[in-house]
Amino acid sequence: MVDRVLNVEDMSVKYPGRGGLITVVDQVSLSVDAGKSLVIAGESGSGKSMICQALLGIVPGAGQVSGTRMDWRGKNLLELDEAGWRSVRGSEIAMVFQDPTAALNPLITVGSQIIDVIRTHRRCSRSEAKNRAIESLELAGFSEPAQQLRRYPSELSGGMRQRVAIALALCCEPSLIIADEATSNLDVSIQAKIVTLLHELKDKLGLALIFVTHDLGLASEIGGDLLVMYAGSMVEYGPVQSVLDNPSHPYTIGLLQSAPTLHSTRDNPLKPIPGQPPRPGTIGTGAPFVERCPVAVQGVCDRKRPTWTRVGAGHQVACHRFALDKEGGSL
Amino acid sequence: MTPIIDAKNITKVFGASRSPHAARALNDVSVDVYPGETVGVVGESGSGKTTLARIMIGIESATKGQVYKDGHLLESRVDWRNLRLNVQYVFQDPFTALCPTMRIGAALAEPLSVHKKCPASERLGRVSEMLKKVGLHPDMARRLPVQLSGGQRQRVSLARALMLEPSVLICDEIVSGLDVSVQAQVLQLLVDLQKDLGISIVFISHDLRVIRYLCDRVYVMYKGEVVEQGKTGPIFENPSHQYTKNLLASIPGARHDKSTPVVQVTS
Repeated sequence: MVDRVLNVEDMSVKYPGRGGLITVVDQVSLSVDAGKSLVIAGESGSGKSMICQALLGIVPGAGQVSGTRMDWRGKNLLELDEAGWRSVRGSEIAMVFQDPTAALNPLITVGSQIIDVIRTHRRCSRSEAKNRAIESLELAGFSEPAQQLRRYPSELSGGMRQRVAIALALCCEPSLIIADEATSNLDVSIQAKIVTLLHELKDKLGLALIFVTHDLGLASEIGGDLLVMYAGSMVEYGPVQSVLDNPSHPYTIGLLQSAPTLHSTRDNPLKPIPGQPPRPGTIGTGAPFVERCPVAVQGVCDRKRPTWTRVGAGHQVACHRFALDKEGGSL
Repeated sequence: MTPIIDAKNITKVFGASRSPHAARALNDVSVDVYPGETVGVVGESGSGKTTLARIMIGIESATKGQVYKDGHLLESRVDWRNLRLNVQYVFQDPFTALCPTMRIGAALAEPLSVHKKCPASERLGRVSEMLKKVGLHPDMARRLPVQLSGGQRQRVSLARALMLEPSVLICDEIVSGLDVSVQAQVLQLLVDLQKDLGISIVFISHDLRVIRYLCDRVYVMYKGEVVEQGKTGPIFENPSHQYTKNLLASIPGARHDKSTPVVQVTS
């Protein structure tokens, strides 16, 4: 039986601005099962980090989260007060941030930082917490975990700091880990090791994983489901391999054609997506991608928001052009 | 043909060389750059890529080894100053590379006045011409760096480096901080600029996919040494050093890559 830990429907994040609310994340629906992964892909400003922050109740500033449902293992995240959030955040849902140097306190040893987190969330003695810290460092791939406790973040390399950040996320035995660009600052070989580690944790502990990245190549390494975001809206959703083999939204196709692969040379040039993403609050009533879309249908795409069309098993796309082509109707 | 830049047997030790804490950043590295080619330098953080580039332009001095420009050994400060007229450096982070209080136009005109390249009256025209060349509107000259996006700023950095009409451009991780679609725009700009201006490019990156796309030749660096070098195609198809093999294997998506692009927009 699948254990659906997180089920979100029509979640939006809005900020008050001049002349009303500005939508930053527009009606996003997603779900993750225990032991499975979801990759959220998109460029800067597409709202992917904002989704993560909404799932942890740490939306910055005056942001307002709303939605039809945000179910987390029997709890409704939409109704949580600050005390309720405290019991979820860091304990049931943990986050690994992009920059481990900024995520760790430079003046406190690795051991104290992990022990502090454990004792904040769990009632236990310092020595019990210490044992638990050693265990989580071991899970994070340190071969001599006990020796790391007395080290300061500055004594560790970038890859090791990210492992400490993962140990911090693991120390309270969460059911879901959100990794927001957690490998983007690392060298490719270290990135590959961290990805392998995340896979092991997922299998060994039955963790659910939300992995945020802008690299579609990396998405295929993570596997599971892929959600492609553009300007705060979902444009394509489905199993990673299905989306990458059969990309159906012009933006997903554009992303794939912009990214060099190991086989691209100057003889078959990259095809950059022209223009820039729209600023929040400037998206009209049409499809969010319409201004940069090479196949936009005049009079349709610029008028109304596309709805979901089925591409394959569990694979959907929000695109008028795709829907029209599928119907076989003339334009 | 003589290389434009020829760095021979460069060794760089940081700290007193006999001290136990001395760090050997580069060990007997030789790199040459010929006219009109794109040379890639690839390696992980700490492999010595940036130190090498800084020595090639004289921001850093080598502990051992020599740098030749068009066959002439660079010795005096005047030699190095003349080199920097001809060899320009583009930095990774366009946010810190541009002065935040200087308008784009002034930033672009500055190299012209420093090197006394052209009369003050002509500078403005040269600035708008260069902005157009890198795909920006000449009106951008009036803006401040904060008013530009990351991709636009990187274009401005490129424009500033090109103001002196250099024969070599050293690009240090210039697309690493950019989104893929913006990255593709900047890479395409580099390819076009090179076609128009015939400049040589030294392209430093940790991203093998970008190196493969852009470079004619590549140097693979590991722990301060060049472990493999040669034409890009053969190195990627048939790497001989174990480190290069490992690097290639750790590229995300390498296992799932298809040799031909399957995606096509149907319109």
